[in-house]
Amino acid sequence: MRIGVYFCRCGGIISEKIREEAVRAGLAAVAADLHVAAFDFLCSEEGKGFLAQDLREHGVERVVIGACSPREHESTFRRVLTGAGLNPFLLQMANVREQIAWVTDGEGEATAKAVRYLRAAVRRVSLHQPLLKKEIAVCPEVLVIGGGPAGLKAALTIAQAGRKAIVVEKSPIIGGLPVRYEELFPTLECGPCMLEPVLDEVLHGEAAANIELLTLAEVTGLKGFYGNFTATIRRRPRYVDGTACIGCLQCAEACPASAANPFNYGLSERKAISVPFDGALPNVPFIEPGLCLHLSGEECRACREACPLEGTIRLDEGEELLELQAGAVVVATGAGLYDSRAIPGLGHGILPGVHTAAEFERLLAANGPTGGELAIGAGEGPGTVAIVHCVGSLDPAHREYCSGICCQVAFKFNQLIRKKVPGTRIVHLFREIVVAGKEDSFLYHQARQDEDTVFCRYPEIGALGIRLEDGRMVIEIRHQGGTETIAADLVVLCPAVVPAEGSGELASLLETPLDRWGFFEEMHGRVDPVQSKVKGIYLAGSCQGPMDIRQAMGQGLAAAGAILSRLVPGRRLELPPITAVVAADRCSGCGVCQGLCPFKAMTFDPERRVAAVSEVLCQGCGTCVAACPAGAITGNHFTDAAITAEIEALLS
Amino acid sequence: MTEPAFEPRIIGFLCNWCSYAGADKAGAAQVPYPPHVHFVRVMCTGRIDPHFVLQAFAQGADGVVILACHPGDCHYKEGNLRALQRHRLLLRLLGQLGIGEERCRFDYVSAAEGDKLAAVVGDLVKMIRAAGPLPVRPEQEIGRD
Repeated sequence: MRIGVYFCRCGGIISEKIREEAVRAGLAAVAADLHVAAFDFLCSEEGKGFLAQDLREHGVERVVIGACSPREHESTFRRVLTGAGLNPFLLQMANVREQIAWVTDGEGEATAKAVRYLRAAVRRVSLHQPLLKKEIAVCPEVLVIGGGPAGLKAALTIAQAGRKAIVVEKSPIIGGLPVRYEELFPTLECGPCMLEPVLDEVLHGEAAANIELLTLAEVTGLKGFYGNFTATIRRRPRYVDGTACIGCLQCAEACPASAANPFNYGLSERKAISVPFDGALPNVPFIEPGLCLHLSGEECRACREACPLEGTIRLDEGEELLELQAGAVVVATGAGLYDSRAIPGLGHGILPGVHTAAEFERLLAANGPTGGELAIGAGEGPGTVAIVHCVGSLDPAHREYCSGICCQVAFKFNQLIRKKVPGTRIVHLFREIVVAGKEDSFLYHQARQDEDTVFCRYPEIGALGIRLEDGRMVIEIRHQGGTETIAADLVVLCPAVVPAEGSGELASLLETPLDRWGFFEEMHGRVDPVQSKVKGIYLAGSCQGPMDIRQAMGQGLAAAGAILSRLVPGRRLELPPITAVVAADRCSGCGVCQGLCPFKAMTFDPERRVAAVSEVLCQGCGTCVAACPAGAITGNHFTDAAITAEIEALLS
Repeated sequence: MTEPAFEPRIIGFLCNWCSYAGADKAGAAQVPYPPHVHFVRVMCTGRIDPHFVLQAFAQGADGVVILACHPGDCHYKEGNLRALQRHRLLLRLLGQLGIGEERCRFDYVSAAEGDKLAAVVGDLVKMIRAAGPLPVRPEQEIGRD
């Protein structure tokens, strides 16, 4: 076996410290058939050309490269090997730059260490096995979980590329939280106006045919792996045929049953059959089964009788279980707000004048419970609104982080209150104010310049107490030096942004980890911000953490881009061959490996009673290899033999 | 004439994603550490079979160091925690073989912690220099047959 050792001088950076001739001498007796060569910059085009030619000319069968870190150029040199007709895994790099030339005092010591490293690499590479990349066919369709800004942007982008996206949305409408907001920061753009074109594009645009929208639906299971997932989806009945309905809402008028409307946070009522609010899309009513008299066993058919299109209301519709294929999944399930009832002193849920920011958005909206009319004060002159920032944020007892969007929401409210009820006194109670970004300080400056707006810093949320006194809310702020009180007609709480309800259940069925706050965790928050820890499952929007619409849209777009560039119809998925391999004849079927594998790549073959590795799921970490009590698992490219040979040579 | 000072030989097991990158960082920042520290790259510290550590001692290492990703940072979710568990068990076995636990160290080094890497190995070398060569060598057959 002819082994070629290539010493890269790195333009003198390595060879100034490590003496080339001494290295040649040190390698002389290491292997019977050794070819040693040196070059100035092996990674340069010239260097790669030299390497390819030299490999061929000298009939080199295995390659050692003494150069920089394999993290820098292993893939570069593997490609050279491939080009020269060698298996790319018959290469071992010795990191003589980062681990020797740059960190070792004295030429003599550096050279001696380089010889040990190169000898170890020669020993190791002689034990390498040629490995072949496998390829599998993929399903190019994409499953998007969540129909808010991030999910829809991802689905639309995928659809516009001519690819199919399936959007699974839990609620009866799409658009997520922002469609409930009349105006959006930082420019007070109308929320529905901004989002409706996107929603319309999803429902009726040119690419709509490529989007399968499943509302009132939830993913209940996911099997398989990147390129070939099988999802099970439970779809609750809408009881209204969306393709026939014209959205006239005569059914809702006729319906005799009603209850608190959760889409308006219980601030108004909704009929058993109705839309959540005017303008919600798709414009198709749905029946809340718990409210409907007919579905509760009574004789009522008022909606069906009122409907001008026969057969559109289908009271006998049942739940559906669907199974569908997808090559990739985008999780875009959004976020929720910290439950401010967990901070009892604030009186949320008890005092009538205390609302969360989300509730207040609905009170400001023309399609909300008050038709956008804001009543502040008891009619005698303008009243006072207190806006409490940082509710549950920046506080180790609640959430340590700053959500980064609530200040903007609070200053948006400032403007909207000012517009609706001029003369209102507005008090901002805050711990910190965060308005970073090129457009984002505008609303803040407006509030600062406003003469009826005052700012008051409070020490911590526990120092606030709100009580009802003569029909007004009295806020007590306990400062270190004394207590301050502010009377207000309305208190708006801006709670921390937290993971959406059900994130934990979804994460466990997708087997994607959550971070310590319960948000979906990225592969790498900075360099791989849309990839989850599971291959083929992508993340977008505020399921990853507090985010505004711009960021959420950006993430949706990025997730779609990542999928479109990697999951290409007709292109087969290449599987890296550095995986675990079970030798069935040595496996006793003890199952230790199965419990250890963090990627569920290890399965049990019940017929043969042995473990089996899924080459697609296996990431090649080798935890199972180290654990197997029978030594039945081989870690490709990191075999016991290769590693122990390396250790031995380093110490000889 | 003085005796040549004892220079301990060290084998370090580094994972590709964090500690090996940390070693690259130490290199790029040119933070020096003793020359007889040798690093073996594995994809994940979860791959480190305790047998490798025994093998290192059998072949002449005076100290071994396992450097993992910080908890929560593992590229493979939890391989670093498996390595930690195995290290704890291994220390018991090493004790029975007469190898003090100070000779087999486990620590966390991130891709950014070049300084920490150099400090950890530097400290290990200093301590083993003081402790002297490994008094006994485990039989090479120890571990897997």
